[in-house]
Amino acid sequence: MATNQWWASESFWRKTAIWVTGGSFVVLMLLTMDTLSQISTGTTRVPAYSVINHRIEYKFDEQRRVQVPVIGVKEPLFGKELSEEEAEALVKLGKLTTQAKNCMNCHTLLGNGAYYAPDLTKSWLDQYWGTSEIREVQMVEFIKDPSDKLHNSMGRRMPKLGITDEEARGVVAFLKWMSSIDTNGFPYNFKSIEQEN
Amino acid sequence: MATPGICDSANLNGGQKLAVKYFTVAITLFGAQVLFGLLAGLQYLMPDFLYGVLDFSVNRMVHINALVVWMLYGFLGSVYWLLEEESQHEVVGLKLGNLIFWVLTSAVTVVVLVYLLVQVGPGKESTIWLINEGREYIEAPRWADIGIVVSVLVVFYNVAATFSKGRYTGIAGVLVLDMLALFGIYLAGMFYTTNISIDQYWWWWVIHLWVEATWEVMVACIMAYGLMKVLGVRRKIVETWLYIEVALMFGSGILGLGHHYFWIGTPEYWFSIGGFFSALEPIPLVAMVVHAVFDAGARHAKNSNHPTMAWLIAHAFGNFFGAGVWGFMHTLPQINLYTHGTQWSASHGHLAFFGAYATIIIAMFYLAVQKWRGDVWMSGELPGNGWKWKWSLGLLNLGMVGMTVSMLVSGYVQSQIERAIEGSSWIGYFAAQAHPWFTQGMWWRELFGVMFAVGFVLLVWDLVTIGRGEKRTLVPATSET
Amino acid sequence: MIEPAGLADFFTIFFSSAMVILLGALYALLFAYARIRSMPVLMPLAYLAYAGLSISTLFLAQAANLLSHPLWATVVACMLLGYLLAPHGIWHLCVGTHAAGTEKDAVTEVIPESMTKEA
Repeated sequence: MATNQWWASESFWRKTAIWVTGGSFVVLMLLTMDTLSQISTGTTRVPAYSVINHRIEYKFDEQRRVQVPVIGVKEPLFGKELSEEEAEALVKLGKLTTQAKNCMNCHTLLGNGAYYAPDLTKSWLDQYWGTSEIREVQMVEFIKDPSDKLHNSMGRRMPKLGITDEEARGVVAFLKWMSSIDTNGFPYNFKSIEQEN
Repeated sequence: MATPGICDSANLNGGQKLAVKYFTVAITLFGAQVLFGLLAGLQYLMPDFLYGVLDFSVNRMVHINALVVWMLYGFLGSVYWLLEEESQHEVVGLKLGNLIFWVLTSAVTVVVLVYLLVQVGPGKESTIWLINEGREYIEAPRWADIGIVVSVLVVFYNVAATFSKGRYTGIAGVLVLDMLALFGIYLAGMFYTTNISIDQYWWWWVIHLWVEATWEVMVACIMAYGLMKVLGVRRKIVETWLYIEVALMFGSGILGLGHHYFWIGTPEYWFSIGGFFSALEPIPLVAMVVHAVFDAGARHAKNSNHPTMAWLIAHAFGNFFGAGVWGFMHTLPQINLYTHGTQWSASHGHLAFFGAYATIIIAMFYLAVQKWRGDVWMSGELPGNGWKWKWSLGLLNLGMVGMTVSMLVSGYVQSQIERAIEGSSWIGYFAAQAHPWFTQGMWWRELFGVMFAVGFVLLVWDLVTIGRGEKRTLVPATSET
Repeated sequence: MIEPAGLADFFTIFFSSAMVILLGALYALLFAYARIRSMPVLMPLAYLAYAGLSISTLFLAQAANLLSHPLWATVVACMLLGYLLAPHGIWHLCVGTHAAGTEKDAVTEVIPESMTKEA
């Protein structure tokens, strides 16, 4: 039986633990800096908030073998083109509302949250809204008072959460902007609303 | 020493008296977690149950927040429990520690009342500051965040200062640094941003690095103390292995964060990082298996606390299956694309949290009760053959395994129908939710949840009564070298 | 960068990845047990578990489309090698650390007095 091997000593493993922890953390910091620069608003992965002035599609990319968001022709939300500042203010109102109403404890956003209600990542593009012409109005009305709207055959319903008209418009803007984020193909095989003219 | 068999605070040192308070709140919140979990689970089966009164979102929020806070209380309590024995010095700021305990507990009470009575607010920053931050697991409003940070800092001060004045052991060194990380990482979740990709990037720092890094190391420290205490393993071996575990856990765990960065807008290189470190994850588990066998073979010690020992064994199995098997099954991005955000996650989360953390805190509860009653006998031949602790152990573990398997069945259906075939659309989501296999899974989950709840009630009953009137005593193990 | 798994491969992936972990643990368990109890007869069984682990890993790699990318194929190779060597390494560490731990206090591994029942 070997005694006092350097690789089995307390001091060796204390140093190893410190170096491994420190090293991993430094690598994580470097990766974080790189990632944050790639996902800040206005990049190809996470478009600027004014993207809500455009049509957004989710199409199969032959090279990446998954669907990716495609920003198309001008199609302003609620028929009104917004400046970058106005768009940011509206999306911010929507994001704050999704937090204030605790959406994440029933829904998932980008796949994170609770599993009691559908994922919202691409909800802007969901076929549930019928056609792209009536979608915006449908969404605003639904968010303001979902309790009497058609949901599913199971009787599971979203409650009325006291969301104002302005907040509902903000939420729709936020959802439209979120659908333009490049999520590496999540959700897979999503079937979008018909929006060809 | 006072008469054995009676809960007498004279049996405890200063830190341990405070620890008992933390443990009491912890088990109360554990009860709240079970209760609100049952309510939320029932809403899957009866959607109109409490609709508009206590909606699923509220029940689910209390369920997971109670989880985080009771475990945090369990850890802080455990740290205070071992602090004086390990440092061989009185807790430096015990009065401050007591004050902060009451401040934190009042804050937790107010937060829960606001969750239940106010629930939601307008879409303004004031809601985030006062009512609800609306981010899973860290919903606590900002004012409470600040309270949590201050409280952890005070505990950190107490731990660091006490060890500095007394004996600064290897466990002390790891614990102090870990507490510092616990505090620092929480700050990453305390700001608002509209960019949801950046929001979730930092959100995972808090969730993953807390749960899969700092908490794991906290458990390793408690285990190290427990091994010396219950089995009398020598300090030098225990501390060397503590360093080995820290190296393995942080080595695989810190960059293991990558497996949460597949789908939130982050670049594709996280696929490789997440995949590679996921493949490394089993290594710490393999290390534990080999070391446990080695240790068991090297000594044939009788242990002085059977319930604690049983829960430590439950910890080993729970950690292995919950984190290891259940985690690895859906960690590769090629399959995680379909399982991410389904009942798979819920299944894995339940078993992993219970196996890795709940079990070890319950083990600490039993150690605490034993000492509180004056180091009473807690091995074999307990009154009634110890049926209460044995049945609660069985019901809690069987209930948890049952819930986990039920959700696995539901998650399997969901990943196929909703994700692979229908592509996560509204219609696809509900097609899966209405599928008979899915709904059956939800029914079984609720039934096993009830079983778990019965086990919980028995556990509380046992903790209150075990060792009462016990005359046989036991001198605590001395493991110093 | 990744080729999503096909629907038909779901079960293979879930099952084989569970087997990877279970057989990995079984291999470690049998390996350690064979050594500590000096039962070399168990050693072939340990390596049988490892062989099962390898097969599971390859099934998993195939079903998750890992083998077509050089980078992912490297990860698979690392996994196989790492799992083979890990129990050996950990065992040496156990022996080494326990030897280092005993040398200071010459007492051999005994049950501490306090552990026994005080009649």
